[in-house]
Amino acid sequence: MIKAGIDVGAKTIKVVLMEDGKIRAKAKVLSGFDQEESAKEALEQALKEAGLSREAIGSIVTTGNGRKAISYASGDVTEPRAAALGAVFLYPSVRTVIDIGAEESRAIKCDSSGKVLDFAVNEKCAAGSGAFTEAMARALEVPLEEMGPLSLKATQSIPMNAQCAVFAESEVISLIHSKTQKADIARAVHDGLSSRVVAMVRRVGLDPELVLIGGVAHNPGFVESFKRTVGIDDVRTAEEPEFVSAIGAALAVGK
Amino acid sequence: MATPTKYPTEALKCWPKAKELRQQYYKDYASAHDRGGIRWSGGAWAFDAVPMGLGDDVHVMTGEPYAASIAFDRKFAQECQDATDARGWARDLCSYMRIYWGSMYLNRFFFGGEFPKPDFYYQTQICCSHAKWDQEASLYEKVPFYCIDVCVGPYETLTEERLNYVVKQLHDSIEGMEKTTGRKYDDEKLIAAVHNECRSTSLWAEICTLNKAIPAPLDEKTMFSLYVLNTLQRSSKQIGDFYEELRDEVKDRVARGIAAVPYERCRIITDTQPPWGFLKIYRYMEQFGVVSVGSLYTFGLEGIFGEQEDGSWGPRKTPQQLGIKIKTRDEALRITADWNLSRPQWQHFYDPAIKTRMMLRIVNEWKLNGVILHLNRGCEGLTVGSSENRLGLIKAGVPVMTYEGNMADEKEFDERRTTSRIESFMETLGLEQIPGAVAAQAAS
Amino acid sequence: MVEKFKEWYVNRHTYAKQWKEQTGGKIIGTFCTYVPEEILVAAKMLPARILGSHEPQDVTEPHIFGMFCPFCRDALAQGLKGRFNYLDGVVLAHSCIHFRQTFNSWRIHLPVEFSYYIPMPNTVQTPHARSYHRVEVENFKKAIEEYTGRPITEQHLDRGIEILNRNRRLLRKVYECRKLDNPPLTGEEAMYMAVTSQFIDKEEHSNVLEAVLKELPERKLPRDSGIRLMAVGSENDDAEFFKMVESVGSTVVIDEQCAGSRYFWNESVPNGDRLAAIANRYLDRPPCPVKDYPAHSRFQHVLNLAKDYRAQGAIIMQEKFCDPHEGDNPRLKKFLEENGIPTLSLEFDSTNPLGPFRIRVEAFLETIRGEELF
Repeated sequence: MIKAGIDVGAKTIKVVLMEDGKIRAKAKVLSGFDQEESAKEALEQALKEAGLSREAIGSIVTTGNGRKAISYASGDVTEPRAAALGAVFLYPSVRTVIDIGAEESRAIKCDSSGKVLDFAVNEKCAAGSGAFTEAMARALEVPLEEMGPLSLKATQSIPMNAQCAVFAESEVISLIHSKTQKADIARAVHDGLSSRVVAMVRRVGLDPELVLIGGVAHNPGFVESFKRTVGIDDVRTAEEPEFVSAIGAALAVGK
Repeated sequence: MATPTKYPTEALKCWPKAKELRQQYYKDYASAHDRGGIRWSGGAWAFDAVPMGLGDDVHVMTGEPYAASIAFDRKFAQECQDATDARGWARDLCSYMRIYWGSMYLNRFFFGGEFPKPDFYYQTQICCSHAKWDQEASLYEKVPFYCIDVCVGPYETLTEERLNYVVKQLHDSIEGMEKTTGRKYDDEKLIAAVHNECRSTSLWAEICTLNKAIPAPLDEKTMFSLYVLNTLQRSSKQIGDFYEELRDEVKDRVARGIAAVPYERCRIITDTQPPWGFLKIYRYMEQFGVVSVGSLYTFGLEGIFGEQEDGSWGPRKTPQQLGIKIKTRDEALRITADWNLSRPQWQHFYDPAIKTRMMLRIVNEWKLNGVILHLNRGCEGLTVGSSENRLGLIKAGVPVMTYEGNMADEKEFDERRTTSRIESFMETLGLEQIPGAVAAQAAS
Repeated sequence: MVEKFKEWYVNRHTYAKQWKEQTGGKIIGTFCTYVPEEILVAAKMLPARILGSHEPQDVTEPHIFGMFCPFCRDALAQGLKGRFNYLDGVVLAHSCIHFRQTFNSWRIHLPVEFSYYIPMPNTVQTPHARSYHRVEVENFKKAIEEYTGRPITEQHLDRGIEILNRNRRLLRKVYECRKLDNPPLTGEEAMYMAVTSQFIDKEEHSNVLEAVLKELPERKLPRDSGIRLMAVGSENDDAEFFKMVESVGSTVVIDEQCAGSRYFWNESVPNGDRLAAIANRYLDRPPCPVKDYPAHSRFQHVLNLAKDYRAQGAIIMQEKFCDPHEGDNPRLKKFLEENGIPTLSLEFDSTNPLGPFRIRVEAFLETIRGEELF
């Protein structure tokens, strides 16, 4: 019996097909304007990869910001629950899950069964999500996927003074004009982001048994900055961080 | 899973009366001058008994409930805030204040006609924003401003000197108002007003205490429309009479096991003012069988509590109940000062630990399963220390959820995200939506 | 000698620890300038105001909700990061809501021997506030006596009053020099002088001020003083900001803000009753907007300063989320402009984007210069 989990995110839709506790296939497409259509597309891609037809699917459980937009889903679960279930499935010792997505980030405290004990979400005043890095990449005129590697080349840490993303953009431009190395600016951007993420994590408590998931966990610059901010060398990052919540959704007993 | 219990429910009989009282209140205020009367504006926690000594035709409009009413009309609420923003005021200021000022600047009264100019402002100085609110309003309207400073520390450390500081200011304000209005002050009217105030607030506390019953006879969303009367004018006899009626009705509901929320299986409290334009989140919670039985805000803003004989929390005994006869102006002022200083919703201004203790008391005595804290960006006064309250509750093992919002500025409230968060909190409490509850709401 | 203040500012914790070692005395953290320090100095303690460090921080989220001012959170962060471990106690006089949280979070989570909350009137300009506040100052004195186990006599109080007054007097004298056409010190330097008096031993501080006052008449700065500006704040010890403002053709010649002149402007006036003299001094000082009731005298004071120091413009530094100042600034801006002082409003955080700020300051100075031409 195949269980499908669909994470309907703001930017991308991720699908995972699971059978008997094993991952059969994965797919990812851009959300676009029509989330339902895009989700269907992603589902079909995953089925193709697994060599299965639609009839093989026993349940479809959705999560993510568009989880209620999928009419053919059998149920949906909240993002914290999906993240915790997926994280604990992959890394059974994990107790803090830090999920950094394109538009929202959250910190989840869970127990060994993946039950959510407490959670925090980025609030208005601390925009700590991927969108921040994206905006700064534009200001630096650097492709988004290069921001991370660029920041690793930094030779010094300069503080990002603006706490607001809008001011941060003008600050980046000022730094460029004052001939600051782009690599150093890129590091400052990541430090700003990880500072806000860590502030949020502290609300649920920073447990060393943690894992970083969500699209931004792919960013080596962010991961390195996060390590420096929390003072932990060995920070676990999920191997395919953007699929963890979809895995969790597939495992959840949907409603 | 087992089918949840379904309790019988009934609409409140005195509900229409509450609405009527409220409507009349604003009519009386707007037309006060037409009848040769006096009208004043100020805070819901101003010492409203004191101006009552100026006559039988003294009408008040308190700022917070007025602004909260406007908050239900999201379009007008935005217009008011835009008018205030346009004058250079910061957007993070108290959203009630911004709406009230906006209504004043636009010269539009929410209940029709022009903005009625008060004869004076009467306010209590405890919240930094409130004091600025009426300072600006009085400068704009060019009328006197009486500000009674109650920054004397928490009630549990009240001393003679601290009480005297407040009482002396009250005495001075009477002299000031006499000059402003040209009226001779009547101490008998003051004494009656003080008795009424104690009665109204003690009765409201009694009503809140009746909510200890399982199932709760009242839910917080309903309570908002009832407690508001005390925020309008607790020193009015009419309002006290209404609460007596309400108290009797609620007692009857408890006796017959009538519930506010039919599938009640989980009890919580919230905190601070709710996002007024989005009270539907309470209805959403009911789909999970969750009832909010109140909050320190709903209980303790206009309810005065005290220790009962059995050590539990309940209504504070009024001077009349204690057989105290108020004979002089000074006695009346001392009683109203002491009574108001014991207000539960003033204690956190000095020390969050006091509020945490009260919240834990409510958790125990009202038999709660969790707490939802509204991190209210529209009110710095009531959110003071709420992060420490959260830590204190968590330390005591109480499940807590927080959500950011704004009581009156809808730009700062995200309905989808908040609903999603509530759903996650329900998950941590092991609750799912009850099909019967969802269907019943959809039908109504 | 002027550099000494910057050195103190940067090394304040090292200074405090050394002070403790040398004197064996207690250090009491204050958060607000309304604490009657005369009592602490009379008891031979060091009052040390807890300020922020102007660095991004991530530790206060669990304690103070993000919509309260960054300054109160920055101050708490210093405690949570262990930088103030040498404090023996913390004291707060009732003032703004924001700092009450810092104080309360501090005494819940950080170990201190002594903590005390002084209820203080907000309507300072009424007659009843005087007799009442005297009582609270006396209560505070008793609490300190109980803590130290030693009485505070009238002689001790006289000493405390004189030490504070002398420091205030000297700072005023230094500020007087800034009235000159080419002020012998910059606003940045004056900021260091004023703010360090809030956490350095006042006698030491006064001694250096006296030495500086001897130097100042001969001191000529190798810079064009440019446009004369006033800085109107909330609290502001953002030295980088002052440096930037003064690097684009201006000098900050006077301030009205919490880390500056508001702290030391008035002395306590002897009236036979020491405690009353101390209490009255705090009631009569230039008010923080939290305490400017009922007479609302702050605006006139700001204008008087602007006129006395011949400020050509004022920068209104609005600390983000600070309600009391936000409740004053729109009217204050209008009042200054109506009285011939153009203003520039900037919103401050604990760290600030100097690039965009610079552009605005330069444009502001240009409009002032432009007006001078006509």
